[in-house]
Formats: sequence, structure tokens, C-alpha cells
Amino acid sequence: MKNKQSTTNLYLAWTLALVLPAFSCKKLIEIPANAPGNIVTSQVFTDSGSAVAAVTGIYSGFMGSFGSFDFPSGAITLYTGLSGDELGYTGTGQSSQAFFQNQLLPTTQNISDLWQGAYGSSRLYQINACIEGLSANKTLSASLKNQLTGEVKTARAFFYFNLVNLFGPVPLVVSTDYQINNTLPRSDTGLVYQQIVADLTDAEKQLSAPYPSAGRERPNLYTALALHARVNLYRQRWAEAEAAASKVIDAGVYHLETDVANVFFAGSAEAIWQLPPGGGVFNPNMVTTEGYLFVPDMIYTQVPPYVISDHLYAAFGTGDERLTNWINTSTDGVHTYHYPAKYKRSYSNYSSPAEDYMVLRLGEQYLVRAEARAEQNNIAGALDDVNTIRERAGLADTAAATQADMLGILMRERQLELSCEWGHRWYDLKRTGTISTVLGTEKPGWKPSAAYYPIPLNQIKLNPRLTQNEGYTQ
Amino acid sequence: MLCVKRKAIFLFMPSEIWLVMRLTAFLLTFALLQVSARSVSQNVTYSGKNVPIDQFFSAVRQQTGFAFFYNDQDLRSARPVTVELRNVPLEKALEESLAGQPLAFVIKGNTVFITPKKMAPVLSPAALAIEPPNEVRGQVTDSLGNPLAGASVVVKGTRKGTSTDAAGSFRLSHVGENATLLISFSGYFSREIKLNGKDYFDIVLQRNNSPLDAVQVIAYGTNIQRYNLGSVSSLTSEEIAKQPVMDVLLALEGRVPGLSVSSTSGAPGAAVNLQIRGQNTLSSSSGLGLTLPFDQPLFIVDGVPFAPQNRNTNLYRTMGTPSSTPFNDQSILNAGLSPFSSINPADIERIDVLRDADATSIYGSQGANGVILITTKKGKPGATRLDVYVKSGASKATRIPKMMTTQQYLAMRRNAVISDGMGSILSPPGSNDPYNQKSYPDLLVFDSTRYTDWGKEFLGGEAPFTDAHASLSGGTQTTTFNLTGGYTHTGYSYPGGFADNRVSANAGFHHNSSDHRLVVDLSTYYSYDRNNSSTSSLSAFALPPNQPDLLDGNGKLVWLYKGIDVVNNPFAYLKQSSDIQSYNLNSNLKISYQLLPGLNLSSGFGYSKYNTRQYNANPSSSYNPTALAYIQSSANFGNTDQETLIIEPQLSYNRTLGRGKLDVLAGGTYKKNSNDQTTLTGTGYSSDDLLGSIAQASAITATTHSLQYKYAAFFGRIGYNWSGKYLINLTGRRDGSSNFGPGRQFGNFGSVAAGWIFSEEPFFKKALPFISFGKLRGSYGTTGTDGIAPYQYQANWGPANASSTSPFQGVIGLQPLNLFNPVYSWAVNKKSEAGVDLGFLKDRIVAGLSIYQSRCGNQLVQYQLPIQTGFFGVAANLPALVQNSGIEITLTTTNIRTPDFTWTSSFNISFQKNKLLAFPGLETSPYASTYFIGKSVNTMVGAKYAGVDSTGAYRYAKGKGGYTNRPNFLNSVEQGGDGYFLPNTDPKYFGGLNNTFSYKNFNLSFFLRFNKQTGQNYRAGIYSSGQYPGAMSNLPAAMAGHFWQKPGDQASFARPITAITPTNIGVYFGNSYYYFSDAVYSDASYIRLQNLSFSYTMPDSWLRKARVKNCVFTMSAQNLLTITGYELGDPETRNLYSIPVQRTIVAGLSFTF
Repeated sequence: MKNKQSTTNLYLAWTLALVLPAFSCKKLIEIPANAPGNIVTSQVFTDSGSAVAAVTGIYSGFMGSFGSFDFPSGAITLYTGLSGDELGYTGTGQSSQAFFQNQLLPTTQNISDLWQGAYGSSRLYQINACIEGLSANKTLSASLKNQLTGEVKTARAFFYFNLVNLFGPVPLVVSTDYQINNTLPRSDTGLVYQQIVADLTDAEKQLSAPYPSAGRERPNLYTALALHARVNLYRQRWAEAEAAASKVIDAGVYHLETDVANVFFAGSAEAIWQLPPGGGVFNPNMVTTEGYLFVPDMIYTQVPPYVISDHLYAAFGTGDERLTNWINTSTDGVHTYHYPAKYKRSYSNYSSPAEDYMVLRLGEQYLVRAEARAEQNNIAGALDDVNTIRERAGLADTAAATQADMLGILMRERQLELSCEWGHRWYDLKRTGTISTVLGTEKPGWKPSAAYYPIPLNQIKLNPRLTQNEGYTQ
Repeated sequence: MLCVKRKAIFLFMPSEIWLVMRLTAFLLTFALLQVSARSVSQNVTYSGKNVPIDQFFSAVRQQTGFAFFYNDQDLRSARPVTVELRNVPLEKALEESLAGQPLAFVIKGNTVFITPKKMAPVLSPAALAIEPPNEVRGQVTDSLGNPLAGASVVVKGTRKGTSTDAAGSFRLSHVGENATLLISFSGYFSREIKLNGKDYFDIVLQRNNSPLDAVQVIAYGTNIQRYNLGSVSSLTSEEIAKQPVMDVLLALEGRVPGLSVSSTSGAPGAAVNLQIRGQNTLSSSSGLGLTLPFDQPLFIVDGVPFAPQNRNTNLYRTMGTPSSTPFNDQSILNAGLSPFSSINPADIERIDVLRDADATSIYGSQGANGVILITTKKGKPGATRLDVYVKSGASKATRIPKMMTTQQYLAMRRNAVISDGMGSILSPPGSNDPYNQKSYPDLLVFDSTRYTDWGKEFLGGEAPFTDAHASLSGGTQTTTFNLTGGYTHTGYSYPGGFADNRVSANAGFHHNSSDHRLVVDLSTYYSYDRNNSSTSSLSAFALPPNQPDLLDGNGKLVWLYKGIDVVNNPFAYLKQSSDIQSYNLNSNLKISYQLLPGLNLSSGFGYSKYNTRQYNANPSSSYNPTALAYIQSSANFGNTDQETLIIEPQLSYNRTLGRGKLDVLAGGTYKKNSNDQTTLTGTGYSSDDLLGSIAQASAITATTHSLQYKYAAFFGRIGYNWSGKYLINLTGRRDGSSNFGPGRQFGNFGSVAAGWIFSEEPFFKKALPFISFGKLRGSYGTTGTDGIAPYQYQANWGPANASSTSPFQGVIGLQPLNLFNPVYSWAVNKKSEAGVDLGFLKDRIVAGLSIYQSRCGNQLVQYQLPIQTGFFGVAANLPALVQNSGIEITLTTTNIRTPDFTWTSSFNISFQKNKLLAFPGLETSPYASTYFIGKSVNTMVGAKYAGVDSTGAYRYAKGKGGYTNRPNFLNSVEQGGDGYFLPNTDPKYFGGLNNTFSYKNFNLSFFLRFNKQTGQNYRAGIYSSGQYPGAMSNLPAAMAGHFWQKPGDQASFARPITAITPTNIGVYFGNSYYYFSDAVYSDASYIRLQNLSFSYTMPDSWLRKARVKNCVFTMSAQNLLTITGYELGDPETRNLYSIPVQRTIVAGLSFTF
């Protein structure tokens, strides 16, 4: 009988052994809801402070770290300058040479970095996460939600605008759901532009005229309009481009700096969107990436790594203040080198006034409106705008008899005014269909297929639905 | 009521401790239930009149569980029994019931043997007078003082005897004063003890020499190979002591079947990669907060988990981080310093490597990749002894790549400049142009007759090695202790006086109460390690051989030569110091109490703390003055704190049941691990002298990183050994890990194993007497893995990376940290194994064969994603099923055994095969061009190299015939591309052969290690950098003269180039694809004389004079010789630019006082 009882006890014990863990183990393995210093998406957008931090985190990421250049900080200027006819290269680094020789490979690391610089976690992903987080939240004030949403939509439009112009069709990622995004194929450029326009249209409704914070560091209504004007120009919506540019020019907020030397200083009167250089402790002197990139800092040699091409240099007329102010010269005793100097502060010489990184400025808006007017056969109106720019550069007024003349003058003026700035020259050559004519004569070994960069090989591997651009092996 | 009271008592305790106590309380309850069950069966209660004796026996059997063995014929002469027994011990009960009967009894283990009484002697009055009713007691232990339960104690020449209980104690009554006891226990030499009137004996049995009886440490216990069903291999302190290594993991190289060990660099303390039985998971990439492939085994040191995932201890770069390119060492921290360099190998008693399901399933979700148990040395009973040794020697780099001479190098460079179409720079006026001089200083400015062997300059030095260790130990049968102290100094072969210094201390205390019911074991390990080196493992041997002096007469860095900037000065990196200090505390207390014979309640309380402090200094004096314009002096301060608390209450029960022995173990685990990292970077110092203080920096950035991990589990094991012939073992575990999201935290794991020792079958003994041992075993079970960072199940945001961004308008922005996936869970590894263990000629030859297969499914990986999703991956389960299968063979032989001379050998070899069995949806997944069904997971697709074409460019086979400089290798030939499978880099087989000879006082052993494999060759290093041959860095001499120069050349290397120009674009393309082709793979097999060790024990006469107990002279060498067809560099590290593997030779003396 006792034996029986002990057997019963044994069963009881085993039952307990199996049942007990269910009660206690869960508590034993409880850890705090978040890792220290981290919060989850739902918490980010319930508090106005953290919601603003989530949006400004995008701008923190824009300028990258010390000396690094990335999609939103110098890489577009440098790469398209080399690929086009603005820059030459004096060094032996093979990746810069590959850009210059228009011999990029889908395996080129810089290409994959560029792609990542647009789509990465602190770029389009964060923008999409902010849009989703803001729209899901119900506790933030409507005005703050509108302002922040408008800002990030402007930023999204800015990224996609550059992406389509660098790569052609690209995956159009507008959410954070990786299960959808990981297999997205490339979308037609038309579709991408539709998204850009939709975002800018929304942003124009959501943003107000005053900047939300000090300076012109976060987008306002005119930032969206200025970008919209450019996008309409690229889409050949001339009237819309003119209207948008006029709204910016006539806003009374922006004025052309009378001295071209002052255009890129912090607090420039013509800045529409201007970011402070980032880089934390490694960049205490607040030097822009492009200042770091282009200004030769060597003590023993004055050879700048990247030089203004002869074509660009020759394009400037005598007396053009942009030549003397935006291009600097150095010499090693035998050779003379010209290098881009819109930004002059370098790591060894930061005595000049503070410079902020210009994303959008009024000067371009005049040229956008001029081109839109010219295309609508408003030659006089176009001349007005072009001459405004020329006068500021210390040049005499120009005149044009025909629309074609006018457009020719405009292209030259864009080449000079917007030189080595955000890829304008490279994009202009492509959108006007003149790239092969121009570069075919200027660069030996030019192939029309080089007008679009290759899709990075590692990305095609990870998303087999991505296709390669024409002219590249994979 | 009781509950309320308990709550009151524990009100101030953290809830976790409270829960652990509840767990303990539960186990105690369980124990008490067992106690009541056991206590009734000890004694006999019986009353009967004239009961047939066999009926009486069967009643007793039912009550006690003791089996009765008798011959029916013997019982016929017995009378019926009339007894009245009330709770009488079994022995008394039998004595009473058999009083006056013609029967005697002997209890052996749980069996009662009934034999006819030898009537005549007993009836002799004289005999009765001699035999007093005395009692002999004693305890039987092994040489380590562990009680031996179930040893047989027989009075010689009689059938009288007993067996020892769980405490090793025995008690025999009615033994003659001058009788002799014969004590025997399987696996130990039997002993005879003359009583000589004494009545208490402590008997120590020496283990016999059969390797099958060597103790193996298994999960929560020990076993011997003879009865072990799991796949366990051990390395003992004797084998460790022979190897002059700093990191004990390196002592495992080639010694353990199925375990592949490879060092990542020859730097002292460099990380060591381990893998047991192949790669189980698909992704071996970083990104989950872990920096190594998470196929690392679980490490347990003295019962406390150590070094989770074998993660590096450094936070910043150090010389131990191998560089992948010659000058631009930007490699991430994928390797670094090993956590094991904080353990002194001399303090380790043994290492046991657990591989199969039977051995590892009890570790549940942590056992998927095998388990490595490390046991430190403990004190032994006996007179207090002091052991001291000092070893000293040096290390030197092996296989430093021989580079081109100045003449060869300049010829190659000129060739390159000419292929660029820039030949005009070689003579005036081009050569006088300052721009050209700046761009090609080696050709135009440096002295063309100068030659420096930079490899010798930087790597050719001798690194001192000193190791000293002292240990004091001793104690009584009840209490032992040990105290050790060690110091190890290992230098770097680089100039600069870098070194790794380690001080370690180990203290152990063991006590058992005199009745052996209470056992207390405390062991505490503490070590301090300081690894002082540079921030880079810069491969200076690639400098141009005509590079001018790098230091001036005052030891200052030279940056200018004839007005030309030198740019690269490797001595600059040597001035950038990396100082890593590690503090390691590992402590474990185990208390065990015997509630009843056979029933033990115990609990281990373990605590470990691993603290690393790293300080990297980048003084402005180490920078090229040119760069100083934009690089500031800076200092990095990194702190890591890893803390582990583990509580493991256990209840074990063993008893004889039928003709077998039953072992039951039940227990629980509570584990808490926290890992905190803080880094501070300071810049803006006013002087280099102030770099050591963060307070002197004018700008500081900080990062923090904190991980918490909690784990709780219940586990159990039931083993049954029937008559030493049939064995069965069941294990199970239910565990929960905080690394998983709500609802997915718990998993169940288990194993079943069975074995048959067929050599114990009488028919077998008769038929094949030369086979002394034979066992067939098999096991099947499941294990899991939770090696993943926590919080991956939610979308986390954190402060924007302080080192790459700055606050925006005074606010540190937030950035998303991960994609979230709420549904990932355990990967499950199903392991099956069959094995046979054989002993021949009284176990002089012991052979083992294991055939295993493990299938890891529901793979928990960082699921790769295209960056358009925002991240490189997401924590997820893959449907992929990866199979690792293999065969492991071990052979241990005693070839010669004479009194003066013995020769023993041991050999192991492992064959492995990895295969991706299934992957639903592979074609449309991001893995479509990475993994292939039926192939190893390490299989890659690449280009097929087809020599150098007529323009001097590398060409590759096109899938559809013909050649190209730009192969489309992403798509296989079947898909219309030019992709071919690259050689499989999994090791085909590997193993080791050890031979030990001893002649009188001399002992000599050598250990050969071999590895048959294909791997990346030195050309991979050269073409991975993006700096292709022709650039201003030296190349291996093997390449000289083999470059393409003109059409018609049968060259093995493409034309060198320095730039991309329209004329050499084909060469550039060809170079770009070279790294992705099969040209960078070749045979990397090797046989290495891993260890040679010699010792001489001083003769007794000398020892007596010197008043020492023992004195041994030793000489040992590690990595003495490598036989390989691998062209350049080391076939083990296979990285041209990492610090070469070192050869170490030391001599030493050890004393025992």
C-alpha cells in the first residue's frame, strides 16, 4: 500500500515538474521592455520631443561623419562631376578613376555605398518610418504632425529625384514593411516622378511659410516649392515650373547675395535649404564635406585631388566673378591646378566665415524660371532672369534672338552657376539629351550607356527582381 | 498561511531570487516525496508463521526492491520461516529469518545472494571462538577523493562481502581479525587490505590504465567512456601542459575529433574560431549585435557559462585584428582578442568537448553547436605540496611572405607605368616633374639601389615567452584546498616592445562532512590580462623595398624624403597604442547534501564577471604632419562589463534496481547575463601627453550599448545501466530565453540514447577473447540555439550614432535600429549518432568510431535583405534545412610497454560533409545566388579563370563558350550567365596523431596535426584590396617575372597597371573579377608538427639530496614545422596580411616540494 502511495507521489511530482515552469519561468526570463536608451516606434511618435528628434535624426544623418561623403553629402557632386565634364582626378585611386573613365562596374564599392546612402536605415527607411509613425499617432498636435510630415515628404522627394537621375528606374519604397520592400522591382521613372510630385504636393499643403526652427535648416513651404519647380522643369511642365519658381522668387524671403563670395556662407540670404555640417567631435571646425574633399590641405604639396576640368574652366568668360570666387588655384611650382571652391573652409584653414551645406538656393530658381519661360517662348522673361544671375556674377547682360539661342545661353549659365553642385551639370546633359554629343567629344571611350550608373551587384544578388542597366554585365 | 509567511520573509528580495527560491522549494518538495518512497523500502516489516522460505523472500523483495538470487535446490533443505519483524533493517531481517537455517546470505549492491552454509567449519567450536562478532567499516574513494559507489568489498577466500553505498562507505560484520579484504571496482585496480585488527579503512583505488575507464566530465556529472553513451572527447592537463600556448583553445587544435580550431592571427591573445561538427546555420554574418558566426559552442568553466558566443573582448581595433589589405586596414572587428586569453592553461584540469544529442540535449536551446566544459584544477588529499614551474623561450613568426627585391619591384612598376601609357614620366623631362615625383616617388625619387627586407624588419623579431606558475595544494580526506598563482608574458614579434601579460589566481576549497552527506565545493578564478599593442596589424612588408628610412637618428618618424611626402610610415601605427586590460572573475559554489543514501540535493551558485577596459591613443605625433591639418589627436576609451549569474538546483538519485543501476537527475537553471558597453572618444587635446584622460578632451562623444539576457529551464536525465551490459539514457529540457518575443520564449528539447556492451556477453567473450571491450551505441535528440541579440522582435529606435553624426540644432536625433520581426524562434538541430567503441588485447588498443548526422532546421539567422528595405537583414527563421554529417575515428594504442620503455599513440580523424538539404522558396529569396540545394552552405558561385589574354588582361570562361574580361558570374551557366561553382572550402578531413615515448626518466612526445582542405590563396589577399598589382606596394617575390609584358607572353599574372586609362581598361576589368574567380583558391592542406615536447625527471638520488619531491626539466615547441603545398602565407589563417602564425620554443623546470 505504501508502495502505491509513493508511486502516486512520484506521479504528482512529475506532474508538478511539468506544470510549474509554466507559472514561474515566464517571470524568470522577464527583461525590461526596451534596451536602455532605446525606444520603440510607438513611443517615438507619442511625444513631441522624440517625434521632432526622429525627424531631425534624418538631417543629422545627411552630413555623415568626418570626411566621409555619402549620397546626401558630397558624393553626388563628386561622382557626377567626375563622370561628366566638370572634374578631373590627380590621384591613383582606382574608384575615382573608374568614375572619371566612365568605366564603372556593378561591383564598384562606391556604387553600392551610394545606393545604400539613399535607401539605408537613416535615409529613406527613416523617412518612411516617420511618415507612418506620424500618421498613426493621435496624440500629437495637428500642426506639428503636418509640419513634420511635410518635412519628411520633401526629403523623400529629394532622395527619389536624385535616385532616378542617377540610376534611372529604381525601386519605389514608400513603407517600412520589409516583406513588401525586399522584392520590389525597379519602378518606371514616370511612377517615381508621380510619387515625387505627390509628396511635394502634400508637403506644400502641410508646410507653412515660416521655417519651423532657427535658420533655414528644416524645410518650409518654399523648400517644397523650390524642389517642385525643379521637378516640373525636368518633367517639362513649363507653366507649373514657372509658377512654382515664381512663388519662391516672389515670396520676399530670399534674395540673391550681391557678392558671389557670400553665397555659401551660413545664413546666406539666398539659401532655401541649408544644413549645418555634421561630423561630431571629428569636425569641431564645422567644415563641409565638399570643403574637405576639394580644398588641398597638404603641407608638402599643393596638388588638389580633384581639379576643375579644362572644359569647365574654359567655359567661364573673363570677368566672371564666379571664376575667381568659386574656383581656386594652387601650384606645385610647375603646374597650376584649379579646384572647386564654393566651400572654402578646409581642415587646415577654417578662418573664413562659417559655411553651411547648401541643398537648395534661390539662384537656381531664377534659372528654372528662365528655362520654363524660354520653353514657353517668353524670351524676354527668360532674359530677365538670366541677366539677374549674370549681373550678380559681374557680367554684362546677354541677349538672345531665338528660343534656341536662349536655351543655349541657359545651358551655359546653368553649367557655370551650378557647377560642382549636386550633379546639376550631369542631370542637365541627360535631361536635354545632349550627353552623348557633349561627352562623346570631350571624353575618349564615352559610351551612351554610361549615362546611368550600374545597379550594385550585391543588391541584384539580394533581390533577384532588380534588373541591371543596359551596358553593364550584370 | 504558509504562503503568507513566506511572502513576508522574502518581501525585500528581488522577485527573481524569490522565484529561484520557489524553484528550490519545489525541488525540495520533490526530494521529500522521494524520501518517503525510499524510507519504507529500506526496512522490512513482516510477520508470518511457517511461511515457505521462497514466499518470504519474494515478500521482502517487494518491500525493499532487493533482488534475491538462489538455487532452488538449496532452498529445499530449508525450513518454513516464522518471524515477527517490525521495521527491521534488511540485513537484520535476513539474519533473523535465516537463523539456524542451512543457508547463508550475501548482499551485493541491491542483490541478496542466498548460498548453502558450509556447515562443518561453522559448527567447529574452535572456529566459533576465533571469529568474534566484530565489524569492519571503511570508505572507498578514487585518487581524487571521490567516493566510489558500488565497489565490491569481499572477504578474501569467503563469499562474504558487500558493496559500497553512494558515499563509498561499507560495513561488514563478523570478519576475522586477520582476514583480508578484496576491494574491486570496474575501471580500477583491485586492492587487497589486511585487517590486522583495525576496524576502519580509507581505501584509495587507483584507476587502471584502460583509456575506457578514464573519467569524462559530462553535463551535470561525470562518467567513464566505458559506460558513456554520448560523444565526448577530453583533453587533460598533461596534454595542455606540453603546449606552450597562451590561449587554451589553441591547445585543442587537432586533438578533438569533430572540433575544428583555427587561429585568426599570430598575435598573442588573438581570437580563435571554433566549430564543432560543421556550420549549422546559413548566415555567418554580423549584424545581430554579435561579431562572430553564432555557430560557436557553449562554453562552461567550472559550471559557469563563459564567453558567450566566444565574442571578442576588444571594442576598438588592435594588432590582433587581422587586416585584409596592406595599408588601409579598415577591417571591422570581425576578429580581435580572445576572451580565453584570460585563463591560464596551467590552471585547467581538463576540457571536455560534448558533441552529440545525448551529451548536449540537456543544455536545450544552448547546445545546438556543442558544449565545451572546462574544469579547473582542484586540491587532492595528502600532504601539502608545492608545485612550481618556470618556462621561458621565444616565438618567431613563420612563413613570412618573401617579397620582391628592389630590382624586381622597380621592373614591375615600370612595366605598369608603361601599360598606363605614361612611359614618358620615366625619363626627363617627365621624371623631373614634381607632380610625377609625388605620384611615383619609388620610381623617380627613392634610391633605386636601396633594399630593405621590410618583412624581416617588422615581423622578423623574436617575441619572448615566459610562463611561471606555482600551486599549493593538499588536505585531508574531508577537506582539500588549492591555491595557484600564474604569470604569463608573451611578446609580439613587432618592434615596439608590445606584449601580453597575464596574472592569474585560482583558489579551490572542498569539504565533505565526515559522514559524506554534506559536500561543499568552492572554486574561484581571477585573472588580469593586459594586452598592449598597436591599433593595427599593418602589413609593413608590402612597403616598396627601396623606401627610405622610416625613422631618423633620434627615433622620430620620417615623413619627407628629398622634399617628397612618404605618406605611409608603418612606424606611425606602432606609435598608436592599443591597451586592453581584462579582469576576469569566475566563481562557483556547489553545495550538495545527501538526504538519504542515493538521494542528493545540490545546488550550484555561479557568478562570473568579465570586465574589459580598452584605451587606444592616437597621438598627433603619430600622424603625417600633412594629415595633421585635418586629423586631430584622439583617444578612445572603451569599457565592457559582462556579468553572469547562474543558479542550478539539482536533485539526483541513484540506486540499484534489478540487476542494474539507475541514475536520475532533475534540476533547474536560472541564468542572468548582462553585457554593458560604454565607449568614449575624446578629441581636441592640447597635448599628446594628456591623451590618457578623457577629462582633457575638449570634445567627447559617447556610445552605450546594453544587453540583457535571462534564461530559465528545467531539465532531467534518467540513466539505467543493466548489469554493465545494456545502457539507456534519456534527457529532457524545457527552457525559456528572453531573446525571443512574447509567446515564443519556450522550447522543449530531449534525447534518447542506448548502448549495448556486447563484450560482456558470455558467448562473445568465448568467441572473440581478444576483444576486451565492445560497445554499440546510438543517440537521437534535439537541441536549439538562441544566439541572437534581444529585442529584435520590436522596432527599436536609438540615438543617432555619435561617431558618424552630430546633434542637429542641439538635439541628438533618433534613428531606427532594426527591422522587427515578432515571430522568430528557436532553430532546432536534430542530432543523431551511432557509434562503436572497441578495446583489443586488454584495452591496449582502443578504437572508436562515430557516425553522425545533424539537421538544423527552422534556421534562426539574420535573414539577408536588399538595402532597399533599409537594413541588411532581419532576425528570422529560414525554412532552410542544413545537414552536417560525418565520421570520426579515434585510436589509442599502447604499442610497447616494458618496465623501462613505453610507447603510446593516439590518433583521431574527422570527415565532414555539409549539405543544404532543402530551402523552400530559394529561387525567389535573397539567397538565390548564394545557396544551392545539395551543396555545402559554404559553396559559392564565381567566375572561371581562363588565363591571361593577348592584351595582358585576365579572362574568364563564358558560359556559352569563349572568354570575357567581365564575366556575368551572378547567373550560373544554366541561367545563361558565366557563373561556375567555386571550390568547396569545407575541410574534407582533419585530425591529429600523438606519439609519446618514455624511457626511464625521459619522456618525448610529438603531435602532428593535419587538415585536408581547399582555401583562398595569397592571390585573394592581393586582389581583394582594390589596389591591383602595379600600385606602389610590394608584391610577393613569387610573382616577379610572371607578369604579362608583351603579346605572346605565357604569363600567369596580368599586366601591372597603376591607373585606369582607356588603353588598359581590359586589365582593370580582368583584375576586378579575379577575386571572384576560382583563381584565388588552391589546396590549403597541411601537416603540421604542432607540438614537440621533451621532459627529463631528475633521478631520485638527486632529488633526495636537493630535498625536493620531484623535479622535471621540460622543453617544448609549438608549430615547429609545416608541410604544405600552400604557396605563401599560412594555410591555417589563409590571410596574407595578418600577423603570421608563430613558432614557439620554450624550456623550463618544474619542482614539487
